[in-house]
Amino acid sequence: MGESSIGGDTRGESTEGGVGLEDVSVTFGDVPALSDVTLSVAEGEFFTLVGPSGCGKTTTLRTVAGFETPTSGSVRIGGRDVAGLPPEQRDVGIVFQNYALFPHMTVEENVAYGLRYRSPPGDVGPDERVADLLELVDMADLTDRRPESLSGGQQQRAALARALAPGPDVLLLDEPLSALDARLREQLRVEVREIQRELGITTIYVTHDQAEALAISDRIAVMNDGRIEQIGTPEDVYRDPATRFVAEFVGENNVFDARVDGDGRTLTIGDDTIVSIDDETIELPQSLPERGELTVCVRPEDVHFGPGETALSATVEHVEFLGDAYRVHCAWNGRSIRARTQRAPEGENVTLGFDATDVTVVRSE
Amino acid sequence: MRWPSSDRIVFPVGLLATLLVLVVVFYYPVGRVLLAAIDPAGSPLAPIGDVLADPFYVGVAHHVFTNPASVPAGVLAWLADGAPLGAFEFGLFGFTAYQAALSALASVALGLPGAYVLARYDFWGRRTLTSLTIVPFVLPSILVAVGFQAMFGRTGLLNDLLAVVGLGPIEVLYTLPAIVIAHAFYNAPLVTRFVTGAWEGVDAREIESARAMGATPVRAFRDVVVPKLLPSLLSATLLAFVFSFMSFPIVLALGGLELQTVEVWLYAKVQSLELEAAAGLAVLESILSLGLMYLYLRYESGQIASRSGRLSRARRSLLAGWRTVSDPRRLAVLAYGVVAGVVFLGPVLSLLIESITGPDGALTMAYYEFLLARQASTAVGTIAPLTAIRNSLLFALGTLAVAVPMGVIVSLVATRGGRGSRLAEALLSAPLAVSGIVVGLGLLETLVFGVEVFGYRLTVTGWLAVVAAHAVAAYPFVTRNVTPALAGIDDRVVDAARSLGASRLRALLTVTVPLIAAPLVAGAAFAFAISIGEFDSTVLLAEGGASHTMPVALERYVGNRSIGPSLGPATAMGSVVLAVTAASFVVIDRVGGRYDG
Repeated sequence: MGESSIGGDTRGESTEGGVGLEDVSVTFGDVPALSDVTLSVAEGEFFTLVGPSGCGKTTTLRTVAGFETPTSGSVRIGGRDVAGLPPEQRDVGIVFQNYALFPHMTVEENVAYGLRYRSPPGDVGPDERVADLLELVDMADLTDRRPESLSGGQQQRAALARALAPGPDVLLLDEPLSALDARLREQLRVEVREIQRELGITTIYVTHDQAEALAISDRIAVMNDGRIEQIGTPEDVYRDPATRFVAEFVGENNVFDARVDGDGRTLTIGDDTIVSIDDETIELPQSLPERGELTVCVRPEDVHFGPGETALSATVEHVEFLGDAYRVHCAWNGRSIRARTQRAPEGENVTLGFDATDVTVVRSE
Repeated sequence: MRWPSSDRIVFPVGLLATLLVLVVVFYYPVGRVLLAAIDPAGSPLAPIGDVLADPFYVGVAHHVFTNPASVPAGVLAWLADGAPLGAFEFGLFGFTAYQAALSALASVALGLPGAYVLARYDFWGRRTLTSLTIVPFVLPSILVAVGFQAMFGRTGLLNDLLAVVGLGPIEVLYTLPAIVIAHAFYNAPLVTRFVTGAWEGVDAREIESARAMGATPVRAFRDVVVPKLLPSLLSATLLAFVFSFMSFPIVLALGGLELQTVEVWLYAKVQSLELEAAAGLAVLESILSLGLMYLYLRYESGQIASRSGRLSRARRSLLAGWRTVSDPRRLAVLAYGVVAGVVFLGPVLSLLIESITGPDGALTMAYYEFLLARQASTAVGTIAPLTAIRNSLLFALGTLAVAVPMGVIVSLVATRGGRGSRLAEALLSAPLAVSGIVVGLGLLETLVFGVEVFGYRLTVTGWLAVVAAHAVAAYPFVTRNVTPALAGIDDRVVDAARSLGASRLRALLTVTVPLIAAPLVAGAAFAFAISIGEFDSTVLLAEGGASHTMPVALERYVGNRSIGPSLGPATAMGSVVLAVTAASFVVIDRVGGRYDG
């Protein structure tokens, strides 16, 4: 899409450093919304805040934009502390879930709005800048339309062009795709990512959809209850969840309370020994505590029929066809365990196996 | 929405100014009137006690206040007598409540079928008819009274028509039914408007669910539709009762000497300068009307209907060719249309027709010429028609200048949510529930006669007091129109403007204001029309001064036949008022004005 004539921000003083939050807390009345949030987003990085609703991800975004005032901590944008700066002086572009286009203006007027107060980056005039951006988001033929006559996807593109027009230091996207249907969402997220790469603009993206977060981000921060649970690349967070919350929230997972027993020799769940630790053929990826309670998880795609390094006797309860595989819900000693594997008749007794290397041990909260 | 905030200074100053205006031109004057009853020169509460102890005001209930000990025996004697209902006099308050109850019932009888038709049938002109239901809010009630006189009066259209066929004349005016029908003319559209809204809000899927579970159409109507209609119906009925209880010009003009209500009597007391007695009446009337208004608001706030995601039902077409004539339901609707047409169109058409027909039935412009000729007369006590028209327009402009900013400020408070919005609601409703006579009397006693402030004597001229009274009556209509639009603005639209570089003030001016422009114009048109039609307080404040308005002139022409040849001048002046009011209505309708409760 688009022309490559749209450069990133070229104004010198703000190009170094992305966004940094240090020990930021925000309270609404006396309800804490954010507690000691620390994160740093590198320049040009696509960084995603993901978590269930009410976890504080949107509050974090609004704090960066200047709509919420932290009770403590500091926020830096492009290397400068923005404490006390109102939103209009922060050089951020923001796109909201419902797009928040100005309903009394055309698409073109919407995109041009920010250029009333800020000059466009580079040496293009405002008109040219607006035309370039509408071209970039494939909206060049809809410039005179009012927002209410646009589809959701078109409104989203217009909102993105509007946010980018003044050449902000940082692009903030607050669930920009969640009002769209699934297919359009997947198509647009690729386009958003391409535009972001092309402009090289530092971007913070907020979503409740963990699959979306995994798909498009350089790094993600998983948030829960006003705190950050884990920050890492999508692969890190998926493969090595730091907490039980992350293990359950990101991707599909079988999560169990487990115990280290037998003088630190076996890992058991209930009465079943999952892994014999003294077995030399098995090396657990994590170092285990000597004994006591902990949480383990195994991804359904790592569970298969037939014995592996561990073997569990289970009964098939329910089977879902997913297209590329079957999700098999099994009952094992009163627990539920899911496997992503081939079809099995419901009610059949099966043996489920997985390898010790696929077992992840996480902190119990 | 949150504060459109540039107004760290601007807003508090505006709010303070608004509260100051309200205190100076409403709460303080009204308070003075009411306090005069509680703490007069003599014994405390004497004026109220005098009213309560006087059988003229409260009828048989006066025993409760004069000789409470006799009440149980009296009740027993009455029961022993077979509890005859006709044995009592209920006094002025009793009659006022009685006529208000009849008027409320008549309003429901006339308005409810209208809601059914508007909500369930489709026909040419339905949308226009729906918007016409806001007309009572902008139609001066003195005009309605004159319209009724033009239709039912001795020289009115009805008797003219009867004379053609050799019947009549009949006397309908100065009877209770005339007042009740006039009140129904006024309040039935309110019932229609409220109930139509509720009826349109019924989700087709709920009815389909009931039907799918085995309910007959009648049963589904009872179980699904009726519970949705009842709250709006009760709200509208209560409001119709309050308005009829406090109605003044209609009773004054149509009640004659026989039929009087509390409000009319209060006016008479003020006219004869019996201010203590007036204060006693004012306190009791205000307690009643504020109590009823409180009930209404409590009740109304209890029903918050979610309209989102509902599936509206398809309307039936009203006219279905020849089948129309054989369908009893459609025939009934058409019959209702005829009745409604006579009640609603009759007075308006009579007004227009009477203004251009002489006693002999011939077309004439004499009455309009009379209005012009009258202007030249310098006789004492006459009302110059052109001056009245000029005054009305000037006062209306003055009202706009005060009421629009006030209304917007109160909207900003109201949309803030929480305590602020409840306070705003109370501020808004009080002027609706306090009679215009009391406001006018209060203004007379305070600002017009002069108030001592820090040793300086402040007096306000008549016209300033009139504008103040009009603004207090009008600003709730601005707020009612602006608040929903303001509440409907997504905070994030304003946030988006901010992060694009607009300061708070610029965001307010470039985003918020354009988004509330249409409702603001509608509210202004309402305020204009309210000012043009205001009668109750104006008639007191304009007394003896040069600040007569069109409605006051109208009442003079109707009330005093000696100054005019017939009802003619009144109908001519009425037609002028009607034209101005209609223009306001067109503005309101064009920009989608609203007044839903």
